[in-house]
Amino acid sequence: MRAEGIPPLFFRKSELVEFVATVIILTCTYALLAAGIVILYKAGRVVNFAHGEIAIVGGYVFYSSGLIAGSPWFAAVGAVVFSIVTGAFIYAAMMRRVVGEPFYVAILITVGIAIVLKAAIIVIWRAEQVTIDVGVAPAIRLAGGATLSYMDLASIVLTIAFFVALYLFFTFTRLGVQFRGTAENALLASQRGVNVNLVLSLAWIIAVAAATLSGVLYGGRAFLGSASVTIGLAGLTAALVGGLDSLRGAVVGAFIVALAQYLTVRLLDPVLSEALPFLILLVVMSVRPWGLFGTVEELDRV
Amino acid sequence: MARAGTNLRTSYLESNEVLRRPYQKLLIALILAAALMLPFGSSDYFMHLINLCFLACIGALGLMILTGFCGQISLGHAAFLAIGAFTTVILTVHVKMPFLVVVPAAAVSGAIVGFLVGLPSLRFRGVYLAISTLAMHYAIVFLCTTYQANFGASASAGITIADPVIGSLRLRGEHAWYYFLLALVTLFTVGCVNLVRTRPGRAWMAIRDRDIAAEALGINLTRYKLAAFMLSAMLASVSGSLAAYYSNVVTVEGYTLDLAVIYVAMIIVGGMGSVLGGLLGAIFITLLPYAIDSLFEFLPRAWRFGSTVFGMQVGAVGVCIILFLLFEPKGLAEIWRRTETYFDRWPFRYRPLDTTRR
Repeated sequence: MRAEGIPPLFFRKSELVEFVATVIILTCTYALLAAGIVILYKAGRVVNFAHGEIAIVGGYVFYSSGLIAGSPWFAAVGAVVFSIVTGAFIYAAMMRRVVGEPFYVAILITVGIAIVLKAAIIVIWRAEQVTIDVGVAPAIRLAGGATLSYMDLASIVLTIAFFVALYLFFTFTRLGVQFRGTAENALLASQRGVNVNLVLSLAWIIAVAAATLSGVLYGGRAFLGSASVTIGLAGLTAALVGGLDSLRGAVVGAFIVALAQYLTVRLLDPVLSEALPFLILLVVMSVRPWGLFGTVEELDRV
Repeated sequence: MARAGTNLRTSYLESNEVLRRPYQKLLIALILAAALMLPFGSSDYFMHLINLCFLACIGALGLMILTGFCGQISLGHAAFLAIGAFTTVILTVHVKMPFLVVVPAAAVSGAIVGFLVGLPSLRFRGVYLAISTLAMHYAIVFLCTTYQANFGASASAGITIADPVIGSLRLRGEHAWYYFLLALVTLFTVGCVNLVRTRPGRAWMAIRDRDIAAEALGINLTRYKLAAFMLSAMLASVSGSLAAYYSNVVTVEGYTLDLAVIYVAMIIVGGMGSVLGGLLGAIFITLLPYAIDSLFEFLPRAWRFGSTVFGMQVGAVGVCIILFLLFEPKGLAEIWRRTETYFDRWPFRYRPLDTTRR
């Protein structure tokens, strides 16, 4: 909702700071999601429709384990355990079995996972709306009265750390190179002695961990609940805008989606901002379906 | 030859036969007779469940044509249902059209929307097509939400629709609806069976199995893909329109992505590429929440939180999708086929020596 009497396209100084802070944090949330979707797409040509659900359930796990143990460190341990167990389970029990099946099988399994996780939110957490509050010191005051909590700062730092770690991993480690090889051609990689099962389950673990981190950040900024699983679709849009097979694109796409969403809420209509990711999706699909940084050849064209 | 006859075919025409086995005609006659007798002595609640199954069957047949036969994955089926429902709203509330005009009009508007949603399928397949139907779903639901929001003060609870009137007959009550829907489902089923075993169906299956090869065979991809989308959307739209009349209320909150996924679950559970599977899956998935609800009746009261039951009902659909895809990818139809084969070969358990096939 914009204040009365202010021309829509001009921000006051305080608003400008708040605008920048919000867009950056939203970008972090979406970039983590989009990175997970991109990693999974590159690794196994699977588009994960359960990513938003994974993120929110991860956030809930963080919230609950923090509540039980009363310490944010324990909550982080809970989130890490959740990521490893869930990622490895999804790969070993489901995705590994459907290699070579028609493409829709893997996608529809992720849709099934999405429903099961949504049900878990209802059954385990009663779909309660919770905001993660790790109890660290209050916010830093920025110029003009806008605030930036340590949670927000942590989210920015963690996201940057995640992407730097990912870059170092893919570029300099042996496993990272095997990872890229598998993404390029799994059969060939396995014939050269790469443990494809290890690589692909690692892909799932990384993707789930990124989603969990994103869910935690989102839960700290906004709230967790049945309705917040839609961030998965914003993440999917971000991944698609950047190009489904480009990690760099994931960040840029996330920024574009976050910016567009913030501006819509501020300047146009909050209701429209719900539908906005899909409008962007429609535009991208009709104009540049391989995204900003994606490869054209990758596109499954008719 | 009676027993070998189920697998032995000596002409191409025979492979087109629908009812090959001698007992199948009898079975279908029995099922139809039982269906006609069913309402006698059945409660309204039971008939209501069956009617819901019938409505789902019509929609699931549509999605089966599109995904099961033509291989075009769609997450936009709820939007097609919404198109039918909102066409009904617009035509009955603003123009006061009679039932027999509204339903065909819903079919036509469904076909038009199906054409539009199908256009991306000319450029993409696979994952990208699924995402584009997803985007279409949100666009259509957004339009419907906007319509409902501007409809009036009472619209937040849904828009009411009067009972349909055919001539001097007022279609009201579960039993009357049952016969009406039974006739329609039979009609659509026969139509679909005939469609998929003749030229369009064979073209769709060729496209599903390998579109490049299909094109090389001279199949017009554009025409047949769009035809599949239009037919699918048309059936869904008719189902949505009838559901609107049946429940007397339309609200956009009912047409979520979850509903589209439920329809996908129907064709997976039923079995891709089988008309029978579409019907079985629709019935299975429609009755599943009610079955879970009645299962919870047996549990101690303390376990029966409203949200637990609801969550289980939601989750069961997802579990069904995953389990069927992993362990029975051809669904209930395959289980039915195996049963038939078992009885064909009884008392032998092994596959008979049959050099003419496979």
